Amino acid sequence: MQRQLFHQIGLPTVGMILILSLAGCAPEADKPLEEVNYRLKWLYNISVVGDLYALDSGLFAKHGLAVNVKPGGPEKDAIKELELGHAQFGVASADQVIRAVSKGSPIVVIAQLFQTNPMHWIFRPDKTPLKTPQDLKGKTIGITHGGNDETIMRALLAKYGIQESAVTLFSVRYDYTPFYQGKVDLWPLYRNAQAPIIGVKLQKAGERFDLMDPSKMGIRFVANSVVTTRKMLEERRETVHRFIKALLQGWREALNPANKEKAIALVLKYNKETPEEIVRQQLPATRILMMPSADFEFGTIDAAAWQQTEEIMLAQKLIPVRVYVEKLLKPIGK
Amino acid sequence: MLHRRIYQFLMIYFTGFAALMLVKYSLDLSDYVIPGFSEIWSACRRYFGLYLLAVLNTLSIAILGHVLSICMATVVGIIGRLTIWIGSFIRVAAYNIQAYPIVAVAPIIFILLGDGLSSRLLIAAMICYFPLLLSIIGILSEPVSEIEHFFESTHRMKWQLQVKIRAFENIHKLMTVIVGSATLAMVGTIVAEFIAANAGIGYSIRIALYQSDLAKILVALFLIGICTSIYLVFLEWLGGIIKERIGSI
Amino acid sequence: MRFEINELNYTYPGSVRNVFQQLSCQVTEPGFHALFGPSGVGKTTLAKMIAGTINEFSGEIRLHQMNHVLYTYNLERLPGWSSVLDHLAQITPASNKQRMQELVDSFGLETCLNSRFVQLSLGQQNRTNLTRYLLQDFDLLIMDESLANVDESTKEKIILKIKALYPERCFLYISHNVAEVSKFCKQILVLRSHHKDPQAVLLQGQDFNGRQSLKVRDLEQCMLEIVNAA
Repeated sequence: MQRQLFHQIGLPTVGMILILSLAGCAPEADKPLEEVNYRLKWLYNISVVGDLYALDSGLFAKHGLAVNVKPGGPEKDAIKELELGHAQFGVASADQVIRAVSKGSPIVVIAQLFQTNPMHWIFRPDKTPLKTPQDLKGKTIGITHGGNDETIMRALLAKYGIQESAVTLFSVRYDYTPFYQGKVDLWPLYRNAQAPIIGVKLQKAGERFDLMDPSKMGIRFVANSVVTTRKMLEERRETVHRFIKALLQGWREALNPANKEKAIALVLKYNKETPEEIVRQQLPATRILMMPSADFEFGTIDAAAWQQTEEIMLAQKLIPVRVYVEKLLKPIGK
Repeated sequence: MLHRRIYQFLMIYFTGFAALMLVKYSLDLSDYVIPGFSEIWSACRRYFGLYLLAVLNTLSIAILGHVLSICMATVVGIIGRLTIWIGSFIRVAAYNIQAYPIVAVAPIIFILLGDGLSSRLLIAAMICYFPLLLSIIGILSEPVSEIEHFFESTHRMKWQLQVKIRAFENIHKLMTVIVGSATLAMVGTIVAEFIAANAGIGYSIRIALYQSDLAKILVALFLIGICTSIYLVFLEWLGGIIKERIGSI
Repeated sequence: MRFEINELNYTYPGSVRNVFQQLSCQVTEPGFHALFGPSGVGKTTLAKMIAGTINEFSGEIRLHQMNHVLYTYNLERLPGWSSVLDHLAQITPASNKQRMQELVDSFGLETCLNSRFVQLSLGQQNRTNLTRYLLQDFDLLIMDESLANVDESTKEKIILKIKALYPERCFLYISHNVAEVSKFCKQILVLRSHHKDPQAVLLQGQDFNGRQSLKVRDLEQCMLEIVNAA
């Protein structure tokens, strides 16, 4: 009887519970992905390998997100797009962030990609030996007027009490000829993306090259970071969490030496113009700048470096007043 | 009384400016995206003099490039008119070279000429030269039979006379092309400075862009517009005098 | 001084229709002659062939004692940068300088001399243009509607003056005015459409020179012949 009753009441009930619980699960699984736009700082190259990895490996989708990863470029500004609502996440350099916040832009930093700024200066050690910062005196140094390499170099000179009159600042463009011709002693470039390309050319010409890293001289000017709006963080905090979780996982996996081949293949898939042998050199260079050690927690925001960046900008009058950058740093990844 | 070109520019500039402000305040955008009045005013006070000098620097190169282009286009136009194959060769070559994006050609120019005056001048000339050349070749190759017939049939026609007849008959078209290409010369010079030079307003805009400083760019655009308008007014005045002089010869 | 055309064939470039098919005709002596025919029959084309500006035809055009052939038409303009007087002075050979004044007076151009071409009326423009051609060295002058827009009395005055001044030269006057052609022209070459045979007919005009009396009946007869021939 009891069994019959169970059959009559219990079985359908269990069935109903099962169906309901399945029904409860099913929408979760089939729930349409939440679409967000993510504006990169630059074109698809080695500096966005983790972003591409998260996209291509389905990490974003796994976290319920359909992310439109949009390449950046000289005319693209992620912060402006965030404010205009064209993107929900973006990559911007620290000087961009500080400048924007000083003008009232409601943005926050949720992860820091580069732990060391990739902006370095290439030089020929045989012709221009550089052992201490004081050796910069008398040299012709390339800078991009208005670019953050100018800010970094001026900060470096100021830190070591080198008068600008003691060096020759040479306005650079994308054409390296003045450096190849030896008219300029130090030329600014991105350590991970450009140094392997230029290095190959110098090696072919039988010349040795070295790189000057300003961070080793105490100038820790922060580079690319992931940003979003304050509103996004407050109103869609969970989305921000899922995004950053997927993104940081993508970066960790892309920089993991075990996934080297996959990461290289991915860069080549999105950027067909760069030869494979260059990408092979670019990847470890990028890893050094983003993962100083194997156990480093990727995406960590270096508050001290951010404060130094703000100090530098303030000293060079690039911002009129202090923005208290530490208030913008919202490390979501932890 | 402001000249037509100048108040037209002012109308366009301030309409665009008003549209920007409308977007800024209706979407509540920060000064980083679109600067506010106070920031623009402060940029104006701080950079007006500096940018004015930069624009004048650019304008002087643009004028030089423009004059160079007019002379070159006239010479090549005259040669291009002589025989059918040279004319068509020059025309095809002009179309092809014009089709090259200047940013792609610029590195070659900078390697060959460095980033000084000559590169700026060449790029400015390249941008305004080809439209000029095509128009001048077009004008000089088109016979004005009603006038030329007499000189042809009485064996008096010389190339100088032919050029004179065709140029005179198309003086309005020529002046329009010359005035139109003046704007291109200015654009060309700014592009050259933007790409590589170390002076001029294009260079200043590049720096402002690096710093995402739209306030400075708005000041620069104002000065570029006003100075270009003044140059165009000058050219139109000069054109009027030339037409008048020719008319009274 | 004469010209003859033998078995002339011509088709406009890009067209399949013959303008001239086995056209043969001749003008046999100096004087003021006419080329007459309906519109589109090929008068201007034939004139240009005689003047040597169209050469791609088959057949033969033979010019006897005609070394200088000029062709002028009514739409021609003088360069805009100089006055009529300056232009005439510039293009008149030294040997014809005296004749210039005579023509200016006869053609009623005194008031036009200091003006630009564009400032003249259409009739004055045509007279000015004709004047400069008459001041050139020529054996045959083809006048394609050169006196269009000129009033009848001035036109008569001009034609009579031309006939008086240039008795040894040859003129081929293209006009659509049957009365004018019949009255003033010596020989009238009537050009007919290509499917008519012969394509050209030569008629005798009254060749009025202002001194002899003109018989109305003869003039009417001539006009009738022209109309019938065309």
